[in-house]
Parts: sequence; structure tokens; C-alpha cells
Amino acid sequence: MDLTFLLLTLVKIVLICFVFAMIMGALLTWVERKLSAAVHDRVGPNRASIMGVTAMGLLHPIADMIKAFTKEDFVPAGANKALFALAPMLAMVPPLVVFAVVPFGPGPNFVIAPLDTGMLFILAIGGLGIYGAALGGWASNNSFALLGSLRAAAQMISYEVSMGLNLVGIFLIFGTVSLSQIVLGQGELLWGWLPMWGIVLQPVAFILFLTASMAENKRAPFDLPEGESEILGYNLEYSSMRFALFFLSEFVEIVVIAAVAATLFFGGWQIPWVDPQGTAGGWITAGQVAAFVGKVVFLCWVQMMIRWTLPRFRYDQVMTLGWKYLLPLSLANIVVTAIVVAML
Amino acid sequence: MPTLKIDGREITVEEGTRVIEAADALGIPIPRFCYHPGLPVAANCRMCLVETNRSPKPVPSCYDICQDGMEVQTASEKVKEARRAVLEYTLLNHPVDCPICDQAGECDLQDLYFDYDCKPSRHAFRKAHKPKARTIGPRIVYDAERCINCTRCVRFCEDVAGAPQLRQVHRGEKTYIDVFPGTELDNPYSLCAADVCPVGALTPKDFRFKCRVWFMKGVQSVCGECSRGCSVRLDTFKNEVQRVKPRHNPNVNQYWACDAGRLAYHRFDEGRLAGTRIRGEEVAYFDAVARFADAFQEAIGGGKQVAVVLSPFMTCEDAFAALTLLKAKAPGAVYAVGGRVEGEADDVLARADRNPNRAGLDKVMGAFGIQPVPLDTLHEAVHPVVLVFGFEHEEQNHARMALQAAELSAVFTSLDNLGDVETYAFPTVTPYETYGTWLNEFEVLQRVRPALKVPGEARQARAVVADLAERLGAPLDVASAPGLFDAMAVAVEAFSGLKLDDVGPFGIKLSEKPADPSDEPDAEEGAESDDGADAEDAADIAEETAATEEA
Amino acid sequence: MGKLVERPEPDVIIQSYLPEVWNGMKRTSRHFFANLLMKKGIATIQYPDEKVTYPPRFRGNHRLMHREDGSVRCVACYLCSTACPADCIHIVAGETDDTDVEKAPTVFEIDHLRCIFCGFCEEACPCDAIRLDSGEHRVPAFCRKDEMSGKEDLLSRGAPSVSKQGGEFK
Repeated sequence: MDLTFLLLTLVKIVLICFVFAMIMGALLTWVERKLSAAVHDRVGPNRASIMGVTAMGLLHPIADMIKAFTKEDFVPAGANKALFALAPMLAMVPPLVVFAVVPFGPGPNFVIAPLDTGMLFILAIGGLGIYGAALGGWASNNSFALLGSLRAAAQMISYEVSMGLNLVGIFLIFGTVSLSQIVLGQGELLWGWLPMWGIVLQPVAFILFLTASMAENKRAPFDLPEGESEILGYNLEYSSMRFALFFLSEFVEIVVIAAVAATLFFGGWQIPWVDPQGTAGGWITAGQVAAFVGKVVFLCWVQMMIRWTLPRFRYDQVMTLGWKYLLPLSLANIVVTAIVVAML
Repeated sequence: MPTLKIDGREITVEEGTRVIEAADALGIPIPRFCYHPGLPVAANCRMCLVETNRSPKPVPSCYDICQDGMEVQTASEKVKEARRAVLEYTLLNHPVDCPICDQAGECDLQDLYFDYDCKPSRHAFRKAHKPKARTIGPRIVYDAERCINCTRCVRFCEDVAGAPQLRQVHRGEKTYIDVFPGTELDNPYSLCAADVCPVGALTPKDFRFKCRVWFMKGVQSVCGECSRGCSVRLDTFKNEVQRVKPRHNPNVNQYWACDAGRLAYHRFDEGRLAGTRIRGEEVAYFDAVARFADAFQEAIGGGKQVAVVLSPFMTCEDAFAALTLLKAKAPGAVYAVGGRVEGEADDVLARADRNPNRAGLDKVMGAFGIQPVPLDTLHEAVHPVVLVFGFEHEEQNHARMALQAAELSAVFTSLDNLGDVETYAFPTVTPYETYGTWLNEFEVLQRVRPALKVPGEARQARAVVADLAERLGAPLDVASAPGLFDAMAVAVEAFSGLKLDDVGPFGIKLSEKPADPSDEPDAEEGAESDDGADAEDAADIAEETAATEEA
Repeated sequence: MGKLVERPEPDVIIQSYLPEVWNGMKRTSRHFFANLLMKKGIATIQYPDEKVTYPPRFRGNHRLMHREDGSVRCVACYLCSTACPADCIHIVAGETDDTDVEKAPTVFEIDHLRCIFCGFCEEACPCDAIRLDSGEHRVPAFCRKDEMSGKEDLLSRGAPSVSKQGGEFK
């Protein structure tokens, strides 16, 4: 392994995981508040100021960060200290690791690890996220937190299944699980004019995938594990930066979901009809990276809007939706896709 | 015996009965200002006009004598119109200063205005002005503008109080009530002049601006100022007696009560014994009971002479409870009866004996075979143990002298006025907080009811006695007032066969008490103690229990 | 009798909730973009910086009106404390030297911890003495004592009232 590769990878990790994902996550906390305010005809946070500059409330994430760092790091009596400390990290790390295989642009330079089994890697790592919530609630020595983590575990296992199954259709069509290959495949045209994006070929799968992954993310309308209005959820006993990690991981997951959905269903870095092989270089490549980021931002926005539009489910409804509707529909989608692919 | 019809209802009345009295007997309401059942008739207000078949015009029912075959209409349109007109005329110069008038809320003028007129004044000119807020006596303020010149007060002073101090002066709209020059309304019954006033013209100084009448709760009780024992109503608000009003009792006081008795509640304004004390030091009540009972037991075990000063302010029940205990534990005790010194009697109500229950106390003591020694001889012999009941002994020095000479002494009092000469002091209740019966000089038994919640550590005397009895190993069978009354009805000959229910709002004359039911079952008696009385009694018991628990 | 409302049997499309989700998204997005582009629809008032003016019938802090000579109009008739459903008005009446008035409060206390600002006292007052029209709302205090407004306090917010008192043609 040569030094250049190592350095390059490190730079990519820093750029993608920490600069892109973390900053997006932090910004999303601000966006969420401002967006919900706009939806509600309110103003939203605008009071944090440095020398009278409020910057539309952009200073609030910084203020939040200072607050999170300076608050007491509380560990409840009787908590399992090791697991209690581990849980927020387990919640934060998997979404960041997922970025390793997401191609931000054409060619191997714009992905940290161009794995051939990229999509399986995502599913495997994404499945780890459950440990953060489950362990956090369990280690807290609090019955409500435990209840929250139980809900989280049950909910995530239920939706993990249909989330994975929804992607099988894509794999069937493009014949690969490598994300780079899938993105390249989406550059082709159907009937000579329609980009072969995942959303065009698998619209049902997209809706199901978005639903399942939002449920995975435990955000409203699937915020039962957190259940702010009832049990306060698995992170009930957490304070200070540990809570902030749980909080931030949610927003990073939004970015991850958006990135994966953009890659699989919106053609990744593809700009329709322009350089489908990604070999042009120069400004076109830059534009393709920008297109990818733009798609991610759009999908983040969509997720936020859903969160501020739909009322939350009851827990039995969550389970009903997961097992009785999403799972059969995903299976039906696979069967239909398989038949169509086999016949063509 | 004329028989007449009022509003179609027939009634036969005594010769010479006024129509208004017949209507009252039937319960038919007739409005009135100047008529008062305890006063001579003046018939000057014209508010009680009724229509009869004996006159073309409406006639004042307070003046018209009932005649045989008379037919009276009290509520015809003509009568109503006549009364409305009278009322408008009465209100012509009235200042309508109800917001600052103490009578507002129990004012006949106010009530009848809403019943009959209820229209704004048509009087478009300047109203007549007369003296306002004028002090016409040491206890009375007069407002001439509010006065409707019914002359009830004039008639009261002249015919009841026997002190013709008031008169009407001037004529027409300028008429008002005044005292004769150089005199003032200072007869001992002057507050009743304010009572009979149907409006707010005469108001008691003591009650002036003190409380609005609608806030107050009235409790039917008995005045303790003298051995007449006038029936009174204690009006209370915020656990304070705001005023005392006489209530009608044909057996005792008719409609009146003297000023002294009505202002006597001020005696308890300050100087209440707040807590249980041993040699001037506050201790917990039950500690004191235990220590006193043990010391008492030791003293009587050592054969020491016990002297007891009873109070003619004690209720019969309290005295009965105390004597029951003392007879059991200290049979050789010497008894004396304290009480306030004699005052002057007058020929209206006041009696020379200024204690309410001396007769009752005598009866109870008689039942125990006790011959009291005079109080002023008590300190001549040596009594190592002295018990003093009651608060009123400060007027006589003998109780204090006996206490000073004693080795072990206890007082059961509501007022802290004996100067710490006792060893033990147990706070008890005032006559305004107690519950029981008093027997007046004329052997009318009446019920005293608590108007106030007992403050602080104070207890009913019988409750203290019961606690002591418990500790002394001679517990009382009953300690509640109704229970003690029943026990008393068995033990005291004068009360035999009486039940607490028999003691109605007018009390009961012992000479007229129902025969002993064990002798002959009386059907009427059952009818007398109707449900209402039972309910009232139950409420009283509950009240007393609450008061005791509070303590 | 109520009207019987027909409830349509929901078909698959409706039961999938997708059209309604779409409608909801349309509604929220419309608000989002409208408010993003122009702030017209925003109802927020930046409270300490901006304040709404209360409507003229707003019932705020009590005040006691006074006569032209500065004496309190209240004659301690207790009608306000009688009308008060919260029992928050404590009055002690006393005499005044003014023979036209006779009666005035020596103590007039309002317990703001009890007061529910219903305005019954204002309506009961025969003298136009107590009013709730000061336009200030009640500010919180640090101790119970500070929530009791005494006569001086209430008078300090007062103003002369010229309405007739003590009867017509006096």
C-alpha cells in the first residue's frame, strides 16, 4: 500500500466524512428549525448573536455546540458505564462509515473505497446503527429509556428487512451491487431519451425505500423510540455531548439516506444526457459532483418536509405498516422486476 | 272571636287582633315599616295597606281591627298600586347611599323597593338635605336623610326602654328624629332602637362599617350578661363575632336585649389564654393533663383537702361532667360558686345576678348533694388543692386568694386574668364557642351554641375534664354535650324526662316541660320533635365534634 | 336529531395515503416557500422588541380611581369583594372626615395570586372606583408579598374620574 494512496484516502475521509457529512449534519439542525418555522409561519431561532450579527440564526448551532460541551456529563446511578459511554459512539460512527462507499463523482477518485459490494456494505454497516439506540437505553438503568430502546430495536429490525428488499430490484436491473457501477448504469438512456434513473425504473421501490429508511432513522413520523411526548426515549438519561452525538447522528443519517437514495434512484453524480461515462474531467466533473450534492440537499429537504407534514404513528401502526404493507409490497416489487428483467 | 277571610283563607282570631297580626299568623306577607309586634301601633308609614270589604279605600292593616265577616285582599292590583305609590313617596328624598349604609342587605326599604317599585326616581329636583352621620348617643349614629320617620325608635324608647329620649322635629320633608336638647340617646337599651329601625337611619356605632350583613353567619345562642339569658343571634364573619342581635323569644326577652349584653363579646377581644401552662410556662396540653392528673392523684391519695370554685358561666353539661369526676375522685371536696358581682336590675330585662347559669348550676349541684360554701369564706380554711373553673372571677379577689394559698391548683379558663397564681392553666372556650344549656333565673332552659371556631389549644371544659378523668382512671361515660344532657336528664331531678330536642328556639320552661315519658307515653311530644329539630340537633353535634377536633 | 353523515368506503388509493401525503406536502411546501421568499405570512411578534397594543377592553392591573381632590373614590361598600369569585379583594372600611362620603377604605388589598381578572369587581362597583383598564398586564413577582397590591399601589395607577357619585342633584 503506497503512501500516496494512504494520504489521498485520509484526505477523502476528512473531506467527505467530517467536512461534508458533519457540517451538513450541523447545518441541518439549523435548517430543521428554520424550515419548521417557515412551515408554521413562524420566524424560527434568530436571537443568538455575536456583536449584533445574528446571521439568520446560523449562530444557533454554534451556541448549541458550546452548550453541549459545557453541560454536565451525567451518568445515572446504576448505569452500565462502559456501554453507556459506547452507545453514542455506536450511534454516530455507522452513518459516517457508510460514506466510504458512496461515489461523489465519476471514477475512483471521488469515492473513499470503491468496493464492488458497496451496497451490501451499506446495509451491513447501516444495520449496526441499532446498537447505539438499543445499548443506550439499556445501559441507562431507566425503564423509560429501556422501553425506548426496545421500540427502537423492534422498529429498526422490522424496517431493515424491507429496506434491503427494496434495493434488490435495482440490483436485478443493473446486475451489480457496486454503487459506482449502478451510477454508471443509470447514465444510460431508455428509448433514447429517458435517463435510466432508479426512480424511473423502480418508482415503488423508491417510495418504499424512503419510508423504510426514515423509519430506520427514528425520525417523525416514526419517532416512537424517542417519543418525546410520552417516554422521552432511549436517550432520556443522556446529557451534554453524548446527547449531542445521538442528536447529530440523526442528522448525519438524513444525509446518508439522501446520499444513498440519490446514488441509487437519482443517478448519483449523473447529469442527464451529459457525459454518462464520467470521463470528461474538468468543469463537467465538478458539475457532476455539484449535481450529486444538489440531489443530496434536495432529498434532505424532502425528508424534513415529510417530518413536518405528517403526524406520528401509533406504535402498532408502525409495526402494521412495516410488516403488513412494506414487506409484501417489496416482495411483489422484486417478483415483478425479476419477471420483467427475465423477459427482456 | 271574629272570623275573617284574608286572601280567601279563613281565620278566627281573638277580639282586638289587628289584621296584620292575623295575616302574620296565616303566613301571608304584608310589607311594613312602622308596625312592630313589640311596639304600639302608629300607622304612619302606610306601607301595610290592604283592601277590605269594610272600606272603599285601602286601609292600614296594622291599625285595622279584625271584624267578623271581614274580607281582606292583601295582594290585589289596587293594593299593589297603593303600596307602590307609598313606596315612591317614601323614597322621594332618600339619598340611596346603600353602598355606605350598614343596613344594606337587611334593609326593609331596599327589599320592598325591589318587590314593589323597582323604577328610577321621578323626582327631578334637589333632594331634601338633613343631618347625616350624627352621633345622637354613645352607641348610636343617626342619619336623618335615610330616615323614613316611622317613629319605631321613638315608640321603643318611650314604651319599652322607658326612657323617652327621642322625638320628631320639624314638619313635612324636613322632619327627622332627634334627641331632646341637652340629652342623648343613652338608655341601656339604645341599640334596640337601631334594631327596630327598618332602614339605615339609626346604626350602632359598634357595628359601623365593620362588616356587610350578607357576609355574616347567624348563630342562635343566649346572652350571658345576666341571669335573664336573653335569646340572641351571634352574627359572625371570619371567625369573629361582628355583632349580637336579640332574637324574638316570648319566654324570655320578647324582642329586646340590653346594650351591655350585646357588647359583652368585646371582653374576649384580647387576653385569651393561648396555651396550656404550668407555672406560667407553656407546655403541651397532654403533658399538662398527665402531670396534673398525677399530682392530683397523689394529693388526694395523701388525703389533702380539695376546694373547687365553679362558675355560673359553665354550661350545665360542663358542670355535670366536672362534678361527676370530682365526686368520684374527691368525694370530700369543698365547693364554692364564683361568678361576677351583682349589678343593678332594671324593670325591663336586666337582672341583678350578672351570671347566666346560676340556677342551672344549683340544680346540677343539688343532684350531687353539694352544698356550696360562700366564695369569700373559701380562703379562710387551708385547701392544698384548688380547682377554679371559669374566666369571670377577676371581679372577686377570693378565687385568687384561694389559688395563692394552694399547693396544687388548676384553672380552666378562657381569659388569662388571674395573674399566674395557679400552677396549671388549661385554656377553655368562651360562651361564644361553647355548646350546651343554660338555665336562667326564671327556669327557662336554653341552648348555647358555638358561633366561633375554638382558637389555639383551647378546649371545651368538659373535654379537659374528660381527658383528666381518663388519666385519673375514672373515665366519663359520655363527654359530648348531647350525651351529657341525656345523662343529666336522668341524674338531675329538675331536668328529668327532658330531651335536648325539647329545647327549641324559645328554650323551654322547666315548669312546662313535657311529662316524663317513662310515666306516660306522650304522643304530642313525638310530634314536637320533628325532623327539622332532629336535623338541627345532628348539625349541632357535628358542629361540636368539629370544634372539639379543631382543638 | 343529528344529521347522518355518509362515510365513503375508502378505496385503495385513499388507503395508501399517498394522495393525502402529497397534498400535505404541497400545503407545507407552499408555506415553506412563501415564507422563505417573503416574510408576509409570518405571525410572530418579536416580543421584547415589538409589543402588541392591547385592545381597549383588555383587563389588566387593577387601579383605584380618585376624585378631583385626589381622595379615593372607593366607599368600601364591599360590592366588589362580594362579586369577586376568587375572593381576592380584602377591604377594611373606615370613616372619613368628609361628611358627604363618610366611608372609605383604610385597607384595600388585591391578592393577584388569587385574582382571575374576570372584571366582576369593575362591574359591581357603584362608584367607578375600581377599574381594570390600566392596560398593563400583571407582571410576575419574586415573593408572595409583592403580589399583594395595596391601596397606595392601586391609587398610583389611578386617574381622576368625573362620573357622578353620591346620587344625582347633590
